[in-house]
Amino acid sequence: MIALSVAAVLAVFILYTSIAGAGTPEIGPSTVGQHVGEDVLLVGTVVGHVGGDAHAGGMRFLLKDDHGAAVARTRVLYSGSVPDLFRTGRQIVVEGTLRNGTFVAKPGSLVTKCPSKYTPAKTNA
Amino acid sequence: MALLGRAALLLSFGLVAYALVGGSLAAWKRRRRLALSAQNALVASFVTTLVAAIVLLVALGRRDLSFVYVAQHTSHSLPLGYALSAFWGGQEGSLLLWLLVLTGYASLAVLLNRRSRELIAWTVPVLGGIAVFFALMLCFVSSPFATAAAPADGAGMDPALQNPYMLAHPPMLYLGYVGLTIPFAFAMGALLARRTDERWLVATRRWTLAAWTFLGVGQLLGAHWAYVEIGWGGYYAWDPVENAALMPWLAATAFLHSVMIQEKRGMLKIWNVALVALAFCLSVFGTFLTRSGVINSIHSFSQSSLGGWFLGFLAVVIVFSVALIYLRLPLLRSKTKLESLVSREATFLYNNLLLVALALTILWGVVYPLLTQAVNGETRSVSKPYYDFFLHSFGLPLLLLMGIGPLVAWRRASLRALGKTFAVPAAVSVVTGIVLLALGFGSSTPGLLAYTFSAFVAASIALEFVRGRRATGSLPRLVARNRRRYGGYIVHAAIVLLAIGIAGSSAYQTIREQSLKPGQSMRAAGYTLTYVSLGTRQLQNAQQTSAVIDVSRGGSHVTTLHPGKSWFPVEQSSSNDVSIYHDPRSLGDVYTIADGISKNGTLDLKVLVKPLVNLVWAAGFVFVFGSLVAMWPDAVEQRKLADRYAAVPV
Amino acid sequence: MTLALVLGGILAVLAVVAVARPFLREPAPESDALDEPGELERRRLTLAEERDQALAALKELEFDHRTGKVSDDDYRALVGPLRRRAAEALRALEPRAEARHARVARPH
Repeated sequence: MIALSVAAVLAVFILYTSIAGAGTPEIGPSTVGQHVGEDVLLVGTVVGHVGGDAHAGGMRFLLKDDHGAAVARTRVLYSGSVPDLFRTGRQIVVEGTLRNGTFVAKPGSLVTKCPSKYTPAKTNA
Repeated sequence: MALLGRAALLLSFGLVAYALVGGSLAAWKRRRRLALSAQNALVASFVTTLVAAIVLLVALGRRDLSFVYVAQHTSHSLPLGYALSAFWGGQEGSLLLWLLVLTGYASLAVLLNRRSRELIAWTVPVLGGIAVFFALMLCFVSSPFATAAAPADGAGMDPALQNPYMLAHPPMLYLGYVGLTIPFAFAMGALLARRTDERWLVATRRWTLAAWTFLGVGQLLGAHWAYVEIGWGGYYAWDPVENAALMPWLAATAFLHSVMIQEKRGMLKIWNVALVALAFCLSVFGTFLTRSGVINSIHSFSQSSLGGWFLGFLAVVIVFSVALIYLRLPLLRSKTKLESLVSREATFLYNNLLLVALALTILWGVVYPLLTQAVNGETRSVSKPYYDFFLHSFGLPLLLLMGIGPLVAWRRASLRALGKTFAVPAAVSVVTGIVLLALGFGSSTPGLLAYTFSAFVAASIALEFVRGRRATGSLPRLVARNRRRYGGYIVHAAIVLLAIGIAGSSAYQTIREQSLKPGQSMRAAGYTLTYVSLGTRQLQNAQQTSAVIDVSRGGSHVTTLHPGKSWFPVEQSSSNDVSIYHDPRSLGDVYTIADGISKNGTLDLKVLVKPLVNLVWAAGFVFVFGSLVAMWPDAVEQRKLADRYAAVPV
Repeated sequence: MTLALVLGGILAVLAVVAVARPFLREPAPESDALDEPGELERRRLTLAEERDQALAALKELEFDHRTGKVSDDDYRALVGPLRRRAAEALRALEPRAEARHARVARPH
């Protein structure tokens, strides 16, 4: 009987995972070119000047890999809520799709990570 | 003074290492004085750890910037309360808090059970072993007492942490996380001593309940903090760090319920030792997640080497627990079998399965990025849709079970008896469902189901109180004589409130965003919000800009809200100041966020109308009340237990 | 600095004393053995737990019956075996019964 329940649970799980597709890829600017047109999570550090308005026409900025010396820069177009911590030099994650050389972000999907200048844990939960 | 702190921690390390080694030797070779000596070492380690904690607190209070830790987490302009709370704001400090609470709890447990020398003979070395890890980290890997030339001013504290909730949330969580160590140690101790009796369960019952309550309250505090401080409009984002506390709580919930079956019927013994080990391992894993930055999270912390150590410790704990349970399997097998799939024992079993399944699917979601990175080289992650799916698939049946369980009889319930007891609650829930459907709540199926099931559970709990009162004559007498059962019902009522609050504020919320110039208004779910003006003012360590928003409903003014942003010059960062109106009529909130304030005064306003959200917080109070009732010492029961164990004082 | 050293020293001494205390109080004890529950005691403990379990089950059945969760028929069917179990557990714990067990267990 227990075996039956466990099997049922697993079945639900496997059913969902296979239908929903296995998660969303998290990639950096150096490899995003391989996922044109796909819904992905772009992870990177903001560089250069941040222009535009996220609430009118879209905010524009450049993103580079968090780690490593890759030269690749991805142009991001974002509209929606901008978290407080967002600014040049911060590590962020944003969901969206690469289209015609620009990463078009899903509105409101921008998430910032706590800045690394606080090398030990900065916040506690 | 940092030297004193370091010395105190070294002493703690030595003492707990002695408790581990000496205690094991004493338990193995049956040496009484050595066992007592190991116990004393454990208690002494609390004193030395306390001294280290006081050193750090004093340094934080005085803003002694020669302490690297103090320089990194405080500044001269930081208010004293927050400066002290920086104790747990950083990695080293929070490890010290873990050790402090652990040695504190261990000392208390040892002192309370000192007469049952045999019971704690093996528990002492297990507690010592766990403490050794944290003491080791504090002494040699991640010390809070590193010193350097004092800078002019400290780095300050993240503005998001300067909030009263951050004074309570981490300590509360730690009291919970660490609290789960005690039942785990007693369970492993009993297995090591080859005991087959329930003494360890009886001794740790209140510990488990207390730890579980702290963990639950800690999470609610964290959720409330996120709601009012981070200000995205929600209170739970399925962030790995949030899940880190939810998973052990779910396992502990299963354990809490499952031990009742062992107590009453002597069944599910293997389940119980496995559940307590799972709860403890998830607790350690949760601490590891929060501290190692290993998973992409909005709370991404240090990329330190600590992660590797934690993983190693976790591996040791898992191997130890699994091996021990396996070796003692013959002792744990029960003679009693499950008689019917429709019995209270069976509902507890379903409860276990659903809770563990939910905890494991959350765990899978949390480690998914790590696994895909290791296997494919490409990181993939799951998010809200994944978690919501499983929350609905497992959570809704769990909600229903909460109403069914208490109505089913032990061993075997006849369908006729079930029919009679279910009739009223079932009728109430069906009527509720139909009414809600007619009112348009069918827009969300999980929401509707949550409401309907909640009605079922609420009715069954109410009926329990009514029937019980009729049987005993008075309500106080009923509760006083059946504290655990009725305390439990009160906690279930709290969970029902929680479920209703969550369903209302997520499935039935309204979100609107608009750019407004002064004088313009927007509408959301029957409310009209008018942007009046913009203003600035100076706080102790920040500059605040806020908008004045007039809120009206049906033409009449309801309240004025002030969403805005604050700029903290020392920390060079800004924070969102959301403004929330608590509507007493709907028990919901009108939540406003000043998303963007442009130089020419244009406001990007985001409004969320969240029905019934205040039930989530109200549930917290009912939860604590119910727990206290369940925990309250019962003189009659204490005497019975004393009788039982007086004959065999081990 | 010296204060730190003094305090640290005191702490160290206290720690050593706490650990050494059991040995200092009883340098040459009669027995240093950590009592272990013998076979008889373990049996007694299990029996005591069984007794309490049976009594609690009985009490709960009465309560469930009074609050209408258990029908009259079910109650009549269940109460008999439970009462018997409780009576057996109580009897097993009587001193005479134990002595009998002990005699049987020790062949002479």
